[in-house]
Amino acid sequence: MTDCANVLMRDLLPEYAHGVLGADDTARVAAHLAACDACRAELALIGRVQDGLALGVRRVDVAAIVGALPAPLPAVPAVRAMPRRWVSRPVWQYAAAAGLVLVVGGGIVLRRAPDGASARVADSSYVGARLGTQASEAEPDVGITFGGGLSDLSLDDLQALLGQLDSVRTLPSTDPESMTPVIAINEGGMTQ
Amino acid sequence: MNETNREGDTQVDVALIARWQRGDQRAATELVERHAQALARFAVTHGVRDGVDEIVQDTFVRAFNSIGSFRAESSLRTWLFTILKRLVLDRQRSERRQRNQVELEADHAVQEFNALDGMVADEALLRVRQAVDRLSPLQREVFTLRVTNGMPYSEIAMLVDSTEGACRVHYHNAMRAVKEYLSDD
Repeated sequence: MTDCANVLMRDLLPEYAHGVLGADDTARVAAHLAACDACRAELALIGRVQDGLALGVRRVDVAAIVGALPAPLPAVPAVRAMPRRWVSRPVWQYAAAAGLVLVVGGGIVLRRAPDGASARVADSSYVGARLGTQASEAEPDVGITFGGGLSDLSLDDLQALLGQLDSVRTLPSTDPESMTPVIAINEGGMTQ
Repeated sequence: MNETNREGDTQVDVALIARWQRGDQRAATELVERHAQALARFAVTHGVRDGVDEIVQDTFVRAFNSIGSFRAESSLRTWLFTILKRLVLDRQRSERRQRNQVELEADHAVQEFNALDGMVADEALLRVRQAVDRLSPLQREVFTLRVTNGMPYSEIAMLVDSTEGACRVHYHNAMRAVKEYLSDD
């Protein structure tokens, strides 16, 4: 069996056999087939291969397959748009946010205070722990006193606390001492 | 070139899928009828001898379970072939592990087919079948997809993870090999 030199036409033969070509290509292939023995032979071979490959393949039981298929998923109900609420957050959320700002802001201010007290006060848990015992201790650098937890404070209490924070000395009064080592050489040796 | 008819086929499939999703069971039947036999042939050319119905059914069940992921970028049939091919490979791996069945080599497939069907099959068709079975696995896959389904090279390339050009070469080499085998008679 010789091959046709027109590879383009040969390429279209399987699709021609399946009837999936457009009208123009179908007409072109048909015209070529009318004049080409090699392509007619190849088209016949394609038909034989289809039959040969169908050998031993039983008809599939369509009903059994359909019976095993899952049910289609129920359609997802359309999500109803909720009317927009201009005042959507309760008042307590605003109050909580304001309290948080005060506490965090106070922590930052107190962290700038001199000596070890500032580092301790920056921790809000330390603030809560210290509040109950502060009255009995002498803490001249930190003048903030109140009892109970932060959540018990009213807005007035928080404002009073902020006022006290303003009076706290937050910056070191002097620059740190120089750490430059001084080396003196004596007659007996070197001392630092 | 020949996209019109294929697009029409895909549109029919997409419409049937939409009808099935709305609860129309007849649409599912139509979809199965359109593709089941081609899937069965595809399974056989991949060496499946027993349980063809079962593997075709599993393919449809998987496809319908994930029908939402079908994007119609390829035809539904190509998508189904992809699922079936994966199932066949899984099954073959499982069988190899269990050592209940050796992997089908080309010659072995011919012998097995002869033993099963030689008594009843047309001799000339058997020769054709043998010619196809002697092809390399990749050549056979490309050739049968092209000949038995009229699948375009672009979709065959996706299915076999190759390029259109390579698939075209495989197809023509396979055609030449089949012709040579048959001309030896």
